[in-house]
Amino acid sequence: MPAVQARSITCPNCGGPVQLRGFAHTLSVVCPQCHTVLDTSTPEVAILQKFQQKTQIQPTVPLGARGKFGNTAYEVIGFQIRQVQSGDDTYQWNEYLLFNPYHGFRSLTEYNGHWTFVEVQTALPEPAHARGRPAVRYGGKTYAAFDSMTAQTVYVLGEFPWQIRTGDSAACQDFIAPPMMLSSESTGGEITWSLAEYMAGSQIWQAFKLPGSPPPAYGVFANQPSPYGGNTGSAWRTWLWLNVALAAMLFLFMIMAPGRVAFSDHYSYPPGATRDRAFVTPSFQLAGRASNVELSIHTDLDNNWAYFNFALINNKTGQTFDFAREVSYYRDSDGSDGSRNNSVIIPSVPSGQYYLRVEPEMASGSPYMSYDLELRRNVPNYGFFGVAALLLLIPPVLTTFRKGSFEAARWRESDYSPATSLSGGEA
Amino acid sequence: MNTPLFVIYGVLLLGLTGVAEYKGWSWNRINQQRVLPKSIRDNPGAYRSSYGGYSRYIGGK
Repeated sequence: MPAVQARSITCPNCGGPVQLRGFAHTLSVVCPQCHTVLDTSTPEVAILQKFQQKTQIQPTVPLGARGKFGNTAYEVIGFQIRQVQSGDDTYQWNEYLLFNPYHGFRSLTEYNGHWTFVEVQTALPEPAHARGRPAVRYGGKTYAAFDSMTAQTVYVLGEFPWQIRTGDSAACQDFIAPPMMLSSESTGGEITWSLAEYMAGSQIWQAFKLPGSPPPAYGVFANQPSPYGGNTGSAWRTWLWLNVALAAMLFLFMIMAPGRVAFSDHYSYPPGATRDRAFVTPSFQLAGRASNVELSIHTDLDNNWAYFNFALINNKTGQTFDFAREVSYYRDSDGSDGSRNNSVIIPSVPSGQYYLRVEPEMASGSPYMSYDLELRRNVPNYGFFGVAALLLLIPPVLTTFRKGSFEAARWRESDYSPATSLSGGEA
Repeated sequence: MNTPLFVIYGVLLLGLTGVAEYKGWSWNRINQQRVLPKSIRDNPGAYRSSYGGYSRYIGGK
């Protein structure tokens, strides 16, 4: 911004000098010495309001500071604190008036470390509805109604293009489509619409080249963009593609690992058998790389149980895989329990010649049981794919949950019920 | 979790699933690597399984 000569007047209350940076636009100014609000609309400077407060407040961004927003530099010429009374609670926020001689006025608002850059609009929005909630349409976007309030000015500093006084109040309404917020201010039959864009404190510090770091932002602000907004869609798309890849991998393993039968035979367990019913099967070949082996047991049990001790033994090395399986099946008029079949997957069995030691057990006095044993080499283990599919769900579900929590926190501050609220956006 | 992290997580998970499947891993509890004498083939009753002695089970629905 080129250097410009600021006009100076004398405060009629304290006699101190008062600079005017807003040129002819300035209709009121606060004396920096005595804080009296002065009327500068006429050459004879009059007192609009005398300073009542005992404490002086220093704005975070000082008056006279210059900051660049986009390609335009603005100077802070005014500062006011506004407040809203909601029941027993009072909420206050800061508003900075910015001025550029060629681009006019803008505002910055700050609440709990959340900042917005505000520009007054000349066009009017159209009334609309967004999912059962009042809304307005403006510039091709739908803005959902967020809240309405009466804001009161409680502290002023600097100069303003209107005759400002502490105690001034305006009826305000906010409509949001994060990161944008459309607001109306109504005073004495005049309605002003302004469009605000959310800014992080770091952007303000960078724009004004302020020392140190901005204070942290607390809570979720009305038009604060959700950090998870764009992520949920892409997370679910990524999830879909990863599941396609998982399904393709499963299909590939089903082709590569058809589960060829290495051994199968039929056996029986006669009534009155002694406990020592151990036997061994003929040898069979487990070919290929070290991979799994599935042993399936199919019985004709009925209201009974059987227990099988197994040992898969390498003929040559004596290496043994020791395992056991129970089969039990019971039924009555109410239904059935258990199964006549069972299976077990033995992991990473090296290739070689093997035999199976089988030791079935049943309760004494059990009737005749016949059963089949089938050993298949290299079977797809669907459990891994099931677990992988479940684990793949965690990131998108987590992102969706966090987005939901963020939106719930946003709408808790609204006049509208969180249950029926949704943030505005492209319509 | 942002998308690139999710992609890395997903690819690692798919890779682990592929390795588990290729190596033939299993969830099942298997007692393995005991080396037995060759005489077990001729006398299977001499072997004592780690899971033996189940006949106390009474079963029932």
